[in-house]
Parts: sequence; C-alpha cells; structure tokens
Amino acid sequence: MRIIGPDELIFGVDDLDACRTFLVDYGLTEVDRTEAGGSYHALDGTGVTLRRRDDPALPKPLPTASMLRKTIYGVEDQETLDQIAAELDKDREVVREADGSLSCRDDLDFALGFRITTRKKLDLPAELINSPGARPGRGPNVIGANQDAEAKPRTLSHIVYFVPDMDRMTQFYIDRLKFVVTDKFTNTGPFLRPQANFDHHVLFMIQTPAYMQGLEHLAFHMQGPTELMLAGSRMVKMGYESFWGPGRHKFGSNWFWYFNSPLGTHVEYDADMDLHDGEWVERETPMSAEAAQLFLFENVEKWAPGGPPPGKKD
Amino acid sequence: MNAASRRRFEPREIVEPLCRFGDLVDGKSRGFDPLGEGRDTMFLVRRGDAVHAWRNHCPHYDRARMAWKKDEFLDPSGEQVMCFAHGALFAIDTGECTLGPCLGQSLTPVEVELRDGAVWVKGFYEPGFRR
Repeated sequence: MRIIGPDELIFGVDDLDACRTFLVDYGLTEVDRTEAGGSYHALDGTGVTLRRRDDPALPKPLPTASMLRKTIYGVEDQETLDQIAAELDKDREVVREADGSLSCRDDLDFALGFRITTRKKLDLPAELINSPGARPGRGPNVIGANQDAEAKPRTLSHIVYFVPDMDRMTQFYIDRLKFVVTDKFTNTGPFLRPQANFDHHVLFMIQTPAYMQGLEHLAFHMQGPTELMLAGSRMVKMGYESFWGPGRHKFGSNWFWYFNSPLGTHVEYDADMDLHDGEWVERETPMSAEAAQLFLFENVEKWAPGGPPPGKKD
Repeated sequence: MNAASRRRFEPREIVEPLCRFGDLVDGKSRGFDPLGEGRDTMFLVRRGDAVHAWRNHCPHYDRARMAWKKDEFLDPSGEQVMCFAHGALFAIDTGECTLGPCLGQSLTPVEVELRDGAVWVKGFYEPGFRR
C-alpha cells in the first residue's frame, strides 16, 4: 500500500492571528489567507491548514484539548486510494470527497484523509560539509556559515499522537494501512513508516490516559543541522518558547528542536533522519532520557571572550 | 564553579520586587526570571486589583515550559492559563487544570505580596531551569 506520509494537517483554533504569525515565523509560506483561515506550506507543498474552531466544515474535534482536526496522508496513485477505500470500507464509513480524496476515522477516532499526494518533488542540495579524509562537500572559497541563510522547512516529516490504546492503534496502522514498525520504546510506543517512505518514522505514538488524546507534536525536515540551529535560534530570538533541544535523537538519528505553539502542540524542526527498508530489524528499548537522545543542548545568548575582565577595578 | 553561577542554581530570597503593580496590564500575563536563569521561571496574571502568581512549569512534564511566546501564558479568551505545549487549560485563580493532559493536577503557586505598589516574591525561590 503506497502511502507516503502526512501531506497536510488541519487545525481548528481560537486565535487565528497568533497561529498565522507563528507558522510564518517558523518558516512556512502562507499560500492562502481568508477570513476562514489559511494554509502554510513547506518547500514541497506539504503543510498546515488553519480554520476557526467552530468551522462547520471541519471533522468533529476530539473531546480533549487537542486542536488537530484532520491528518491527510499523501499516497502515490489512484490504485493506492482504491486499495485503502476497499480495506477501510469493511468496517467503517469512508467518505469519497468531491476532490477525489477519502475521509474516515481511525480506530481511536482521529480523523484521517487520504489523497494522491500534492507534494512537489524537491531537487535541492544537502548541507555540505568538509571532513578530513573525505572529498570536500564545499570546494575552495565556498562559505559554510551564512547568518542570513533562509532556513525554510522542506517537507512535513512526522506527527506524534497521544493515544489511550497504543496496541490497538499500532495494529490498525500495521494491519489495515501496512505501516511498518522501525523501532519501539517499550510501554511508550512504536515508530512507524508507511510503505512508500524510507524515513525512520512518519508516525510515532505515546501511550497516555484518554483525556490526553491528541497531537503531541508535528515536525518538518530542514536541510541539515545548521539550518535547524539557525531556524531554532531565530525562533528564540523572536521570543518563542523552546521546549526541548537542540539535540539529536537516537532512534531515527534526527536532530531535533521543539517549540511550544499557539496550535496547542509542539512544533519541531528535524534534520538528517535515518532511512530504512524492508531489511531493517526493529530495535526496542525502554523510554528514558538516555535512550531519547545522543546529546541535548540549550540555547543561550550569544557570547564571546573579550572585553575588560568583569572583576577589574579602575 | 564561581559564586555567581552557584547562586543561580540554589534557592534564595529575591531582594528586589518583580515589578510595579501598575506596570501589569489588567487581564494579561507576564513572565519573570527572578534568579536571572536566562528563562522566565514564573508568571503573574493581573485581574483587576488581584495578582495571581504561578511557576512556569506545566505539571504534565517535569519543568515543562508553558508559554508560546514571551509573556503569553493565557488562552485566547484571557479567561484561563494555557500550556502551549499540549493545550492544557488551568483556572487563573486556583491553578487547577480544567482540560487537557494535566487533569487532576494543578500549577505550582508562587507566594507573592503587594507592598509599596510593587509585587514581591515571599520567602525562598527555587531555580526553575533544567540543569
């Protein structure tokens, strides 16, 4: 089943203006803005759509604090859409929308959509580095440090749900949508990737009480660690609240930096995630601070040695 | 470790007021960093003549920060404290969680007093920054 990953996340919010400002400051491009809301895209056209909480066109909300109203997955082709429809028709209502997409709810009542992906194929350079013993990533006179680099999110990377029944949800995504478990935190949840994506995870789940059900975070891939640091430090400078990071995860190997947001979920920058195929054998370990990250840093104000010694009397 | 950085990580009395009461905007929140840790570790909410003081710690995770931007600790209606990590709502006056990941838990209060037109932290203040 050739599902690629989340193409679009739809939120129903109270403070549209705060959410708009946040998403643009985060680095997404506003491609649509109306009274009803707006759409905010990464470079490949994946992204976030905002609507007012009481918009009657939105799927019903979860009975929790979550503002996420729908997760729309991109798939490769019509054949995949037909397979999904045939599979999910067996035990739930699957709505064929006017635009050709499918709408339904998963086994724990998260609203889902499926459509032929609207992702644009990206053809962009990786972060280029020079490493002794290896062919230079940047030739002579090519500068690596650019304070004014754009640092735009490239593509929607993954989402993480709080779920009251991790096993049931995992089975749904594995049995019905043919996702694969890459790694697992025991008693916390599995990292899942769909068939048409090598990324370590596009979906991760965290077992919680029912009153917490919702979106823990969403993440976009950046070019590399340097763009991640640049984008994150700009967010801090603008007054946004860093929640966790910068650091580098162990499972997935991705660099991370999480921020609080007016969408009531963490919004993460990630970079340089591992890829896996059918040969991979899943790992499992209990969740802990040690298991969650290779290292963790905290942003501080810029500082440099120099100037008069602070204790000097004149 | 020198004396200054040691003090930063130990509870101590705050010898200066947080701010003048009149500088607080009615119905708004404002963050403070009484120990100079580099991050707001508490916030005040003014409602009329009353001021409510809470630590910037969501009870959901250890020392989780709550605002989405500098000084933004309230939900869009201004009627409740909101944690912008996962959307939990709290009563401004009691700190009790009313919706979201922290149901059954409460914010941690900071004891403050109004004196000479200013807001003062009473007693010892614990650092709030993760180490």
